Amino acid sequence: MLKGKTALITGSNRGIGRALIEAFAKDGADILAHARAGSSGFVHDMQRVATLYGVNVRPIFFDLLDVTSMKSAIRAVVTAGIPIDILINNAGVAHGGLFQMTPINEIRRVFEVNFFSQLELTQIISRIMCRQKSGSIVNIATIAGLDLQIGNVAYGVSKAALMAATKTLASELAHFNVRVNAVAPGLTDTEMAKLMDNKAEKAMVNRSAMKRMARVEEIADVALFLASDRASFINGQVLRVDGGSE
Amino acid sequence: MLNKQKYDNAFMASFSISQDELNNKLVYQSIPAWDSVGHMGLMTAIEEAFNITLEMDDILDFSSYGKGVEILQKYDVIL
Repeated sequence: MLKGKTALITGSNRGIGRALIEAFAKDGADILAHARAGSSGFVHDMQRVATLYGVNVRPIFFDLLDVTSMKSAIRAVVTAGIPIDILINNAGVAHGGLFQMTPINEIRRVFEVNFFSQLELTQIISRIMCRQKSGSIVNIATIAGLDLQIGNVAYGVSKAALMAATKTLASELAHFNVRVNAVAPGLTDTEMAKLMDNKAEKAMVNRSAMKRMARVEEIADVALFLASDRASFINGQVLRVDGGSE
Repeated sequence: MLNKQKYDNAFMASFSISQDELNNKLVYQSIPAWDSVGHMGLMTAIEEAFNITLEMDDILDFSSYGKGVEILQKYDVIL
């Protein structure tokens, strides 16, 4: 589905991001694998994926909160003549806590990473896509941003904002043949999920009709579908991947 | 193709207007096609024509046919 396409995947060194790398490479996509900071382990891992699937996987490093380094990294990609056909906004931070126990600055910090930095990067990449007259953007959100249960005033609301932006960007960019969609995973078996309060984790699993966490591959496969031309008429949608809800 | 011709073509293609409509009276929202959506189409056409990436401030300042000429000088595009 993705042979000949290049995908920029943010936060690709672990969790859902790492699964996205595997799924996209397996499907034939060349990849710009973003991480905040470089490490020999990550570079080696990306080389292994490239060799295994016969694709190009180029590590790309910048802090999403550092606009200058973000622009510089993307400029280097453009200067090298590498197209960006797909953007997967996956990087993010988790946070849980009751509203009255969450400092406003903490909510701002979560929004900076989960919302504003995603918009900043999307603004840069979408302009490249508009020039190409094609592109697909997939935002990795969460059902926490749809259901907005207690304790989600920072994480859930920041992702709700991202999903709202997904819809308006989809309308604005459709004119340039650029689609924007989102995946809203249920609780997924990642390191991030392990940081969750046990009681909240059990409650979230219990609300899933299938009574289990998602596997990272199950989320990656849906993102891959939305990114591909198989979803060429799907735009501005948020797709729940949570095993159904009770 | 001369830079001036590329510049004019970007306007004509983006707004479906003719050469004789290109003058300093052509400003943002002076014609129905130059609305906010049309503006982003024009910016994309200009970026493509000159192989440049306009800064956000310049996209916002690009308020007329004449102002655009001035802005493009910052990108070493002389018309």
